[in-house]
Amino acid sequence: MARPSLRNPHRRVPLAGPVAGVQEDLMNVQFKKGVLEICVLSVLARRDCYGYELVGEISKRIDISEGTIYPLLRRLRDEGLVTTYLQESEGGAPRKYYRLTGTGRDRERELRDEWMQFATSVNAILAEVTHDAE
Amino acid sequence: MTQNEQDYIGSLKSALSGTIPDEELQDILSDYTEHFRAGREEGRTDEDLCRALGSPMDVAQEIRASWMVSRAEKNRSCRNIWRAVLATIGLGLLNLIVVLVPFILLTLVLLIILVVGAVCIVFGPVAFVLALLQTAGISFINFWLWPVAGVFFSIGITSLGLLLVIGDYYLARFFYHLGIRWLKWNIRMIRKAEGTA
Repeated sequence: MARPSLRNPHRRVPLAGPVAGVQEDLMNVQFKKGVLEICVLSVLARRDCYGYELVGEISKRIDISEGTIYPLLRRLRDEGLVTTYLQESEGGAPRKYYRLTGTGRDRERELRDEWMQFATSVNAILAEVTHDAE
Repeated sequence: MTQNEQDYIGSLKSALSGTIPDEELQDILSDYTEHFRAGREEGRTDEDLCRALGSPMDVAQEIRASWMVSRAEKNRSCRNIWRAVLATIGLGLLNLIVVLVPFILLTLVLLIILVVGAVCIVFGPVAFVLALLQTAGISFINFWLWPVAGVFFSIGITSLGLLLVIGDYYLARFFYHLGIRWLKWNIRMIRKAEGTA
């Protein structure tokens, strides 16, 4: 299976063995799973989705194991951030839809602001470094 | 690697049955059944859907860990927190260091404080009685060099023991709460590198 690398492709000395494993593990920790929650909340803030639809929205942009979105949705439901309801589909079988609760909306805004601030700061630093290098 | 819906649902079911309540398990399985159905309606093959879903074992581990942690949160006991810790370790190699080691160290420290406190509570009163008897001049054992000082000293030891045991109880409660929060955060953030495990 092709695995997109988050590591810098220009790095000359690749880490080998278990060290590389831990390194990759840490990268995944920081970049994928951690942001999954805000991605899910943000998609749901725009509209209610059924599971497959939501998974599609996320996985078309971020490469993740799609199966892990469902446990996340259960946690969000247990924490009272989302609720579910059943609705008939065109195919006939009812689908489980996910909707943000009031608390969920608050959390979404909070995480969004935090992320935006963080991303702006990182981008500013990256831009400065790139500029200095030229 | 699972190839079709039956494989996927089957693996998930066998990995989770017995660890979480049946009702909850059925609900989880129905989410994945619906996922396969919706995917097929869009013309995707089972094989493709399985590949995108990833390992059912990873999903099972995460669900199990979440469930164990929320149970430990609702019913506080050594057994429940221990099982929650073990379930969380499966989520990533890193957790051996950031979950298991601190958990064992904390348990040891709390146990040591408890044992020291208990020893003080048991021997304090004994020493107190001995000191009283010696002060009154009716003791057969000369336990204390200065019996009068011994009276006060043994009261001190007993009180210290009580403080240690009570303090240990609150400390344990505090760390239990902290531990639950740490495990929850951990489940949210820690994830195996794809394809490596």
